[in-house]
Amino acid sequence: MRDLFKEIWSTLSNNKLRTALTGFAVSWGIFLLICLLGAGNGLMNSFMGNSEDFVKNSMQVWGGRTSKAYAGYNAGRRIRLDEKDVEITAGKEFKDHIDIVSPVSESQSARTVFGTNSISATLSGVMPDYQEINKIIIKEGRFINPLDIKDLRKTAVIGSNLAKTLVEGTRLREKDLIGKTVKAGEGAFTVAGIYQADESQMGNEIFIPFTTMKAIYSPGQDIGTLAFTFHGLESIEENEAFEKEYGGRIKSHHDADPTDESAIWIWNRYSQNLQMNKGQAILQTFLWILGLLTLVSGIVGVSNIMLISVKERTHEFGIRKAIGAAPKDILKLIIAESVTITAFFGYIGMLLGMTACEIMDKTIGQRAVDVGFTRIHILENPTVGLDVALEATLLLIIAGTLAGLAPARKASKVRPIEALRAE
Amino acid sequence: MLIELKDINKTYNNGQPLHVLKGINLEIERGEFVSIMGSSGSGKSTLLNILGILDNYDTGEYRLDGKLIKGLSEKQAAEYRNRMIGFIFQSYNLIGFKTALENVELPLFYQGISRKKREVMAMEYLDRLGLKDWSSHFPNEMSGGQKQRVAIARALITRPEIILADEPTGALDSRTSVEIMQLLKELNRTDNMTIIVVTHESGVANETNKIIHIKDGIIGEIEMNQGHNASPFGTGGIMK
Repeated sequence: MRDLFKEIWSTLSNNKLRTALTGFAVSWGIFLLICLLGAGNGLMNSFMGNSEDFVKNSMQVWGGRTSKAYAGYNAGRRIRLDEKDVEITAGKEFKDHIDIVSPVSESQSARTVFGTNSISATLSGVMPDYQEINKIIIKEGRFINPLDIKDLRKTAVIGSNLAKTLVEGTRLREKDLIGKTVKAGEGAFTVAGIYQADESQMGNEIFIPFTTMKAIYSPGQDIGTLAFTFHGLESIEENEAFEKEYGGRIKSHHDADPTDESAIWIWNRYSQNLQMNKGQAILQTFLWILGLLTLVSGIVGVSNIMLISVKERTHEFGIRKAIGAAPKDILKLIIAESVTITAFFGYIGMLLGMTACEIMDKTIGQRAVDVGFTRIHILENPTVGLDVALEATLLLIIAGTLAGLAPARKASKVRPIEALRAE
Repeated sequence: MLIELKDINKTYNNGQPLHVLKGINLEIERGEFVSIMGSSGSGKSTLLNILGILDNYDTGEYRLDGKLIKGLSEKQAAEYRNRMIGFIFQSYNLIGFKTALENVELPLFYQGISRKKREVMAMEYLDRLGLKDWSSHFPNEMSGGQKQRVAIARALITRPEIILADEPTGALDSRTSVEIMQLLKELNRTDNMTIIVVTHESGVANETNKIIHIKDGIIGEIEMNQGHNASPFGTGGIMK
C-alpha cells in the first residue's frame, strides 16, 4: 500500500501541471455543487421558516362589500360577520371538516400608557383558541383563558416589544409587568401575559378577551373576522369546493348573492401552502438538475484529463510492461491515481464550498427584506449538511474512477511493443 | 539449451502484408555472448522483440529455458519478462520522473519485494556499475553512458536468465560505446550471463563471441568469433 502511494506521489509531484488541472476540475465541480445546494437549502429554509408561524390548515373569513344586487338590496352594501356566522361555522353543517372556530373582534387603535411611557397600539378581542390557530408563543404569564371570556375580565396579553417600550426608563423588567395595570384606549387592563413578538406589526397588538372587547366597543352581534381550523381537505379542488359551499352559506345568511365574489373573503392557508409546496418541489428538482449537470462537468473534466494523461504516458507504461508490470498493475496505478486526485481535491473543494456557504450565511443570510407586514429572510441558514457534502464528494470520486476506468483499461491492454514505440 | 527457436514466422499486416521473419531456427546456450547483426529492415529487432516476449509470432515454436512461449496471457508474459529477461534499449527507456535508484528498483517492485530490500539491492547494482553517487539523480541530469549503465543495472537486478540489448550503443559516442561493450563482455565473463545484442554495426558485433547474420528475415551465416577479428573493420575496435 505504501509502495503504491509512493509511486502515485512520485508521478503526481512530477506532473504538477496535469495534477493541478485535474484537481481544479474536481475542486471546482464540488465547490459549485455545494454552493448551489447551500443556496437552494437557504431559499427552501426561508420558505418554510416564513410560513411556520401559523397552523397550516386554517382559514380566515371576513366580510367585504357586495358587488351584485340581491334579495332587494343594492350592490355596494357592507357585510359584517356576526355571532350567527360563528354558530353556522361551528354548527352541524360543517362539522365534518371544521374543528376550532374562533371569532376575532374588529381591532381598535388604542393609546397605551404605563407610568410616563406611552405608545400607540391595537386592541383585538380574541378567544383562547386564537393562540393555537396563530401559533402565538407566550414568553411570560399566560394567554386569554375561558374564565376571562366568561367573566368579561379586563385582562391583556401584550407583545414583548411593547412591554419593552413600556418599562423603558423604569427599574422594572419586562416580566415585572405581569399583574400590573396598563391603560389602553378606553380602559385599564391587567397584564396577564407577554407573547413573543416577531418583526411584524403584530408586536403592537394587545389581545384582550373577546367578550370584554365587545362589551366596551361594539355591543351587539357583529364580529370582525372569523378563524377556524379544519381537516380532511387534501387537494386544491377539495378546498375550492369547500370554500364555495361554505362561502355560499355565509353569504346567504347575509342576504348576499352566493356567487358574489367580493361579499365574503376567505383566506385559506392550507391551499396557499399546497401551492408553496408545489413551488418548492419544482425548485428542488431544478436544483438537482443543476447540481447533476455541475457534477457531470466535473466528471467530464476528470475523464478528459485522465484520457490525455493515459495517452501521454503510453511510453512509460510500455517501459513498465517490458520490465514486468502486468496489465492489472497498470490499471491499479491509473485508478489509484485518479482516486487520490479526486479524493484530495474533492475534499478541498468541499471545504471551500462549505466555507462559502458559511460566508453566505453570515452575509446574505442575515439580510432581510421588508415586505410590508413582515420581514423575510431571502436565505435562511444557506448551508449543506456534512452528510450531503460527503455524499457529493464520494459520488464524484466514484464517477471520477469510472471516468478513468475506460482509458485505464485501454492503456493496460496495449501491447508492450506498441506502447514502447509510442512517443 | 536456453533458447530454442523452431521455424519462427512473423508477418505484419499493416495494409500490405509484410513477411518479416521467414522461418527462423536458432539455438543459444546458457552463458553465450551473441550478436544478431543485420541492416535495418532485416527483421533483427522483430526477432529480439519475440525473444523478449514483447511481441508474438505467428507460427513456429519458441522455448525459453524449456518453457514453450506461445499464447501467453499478458500477465504470464509480464511475469516471464520480469523474472527471466533483462532489457537494454537504444533509447535507455528510463522513466524520466524517477531517480536512478527508483528506476533500478522498479522491476523488484513488480515482484512485490519490500521497499527496504529493493533499495539495498538497487544501491548494490548502481555501485557495481560505478553510479553510487548518482543514485538520487534524474535521467535528464546524466550523460548517455550513465543512463545506459542505469538501464543495465535495472536489467541485472532481477538476476535474469538472459540480457537482450537492442542497439545498446546506438545513441552513444564511440568512447562510451567501447565502455558499454566492455561492460557487457565482463558481465558475460564473470557472471556467465547470457547476452544477446542486436546491432547493425559490425564493430559492435565484433565484440561478441558469436555473430548471427540475418538478412531479409532469414538467418544467414553464423560466425564463431572467439578471437574478435571477424569484422573487416575489427582492428580499430568499434566502428562508428
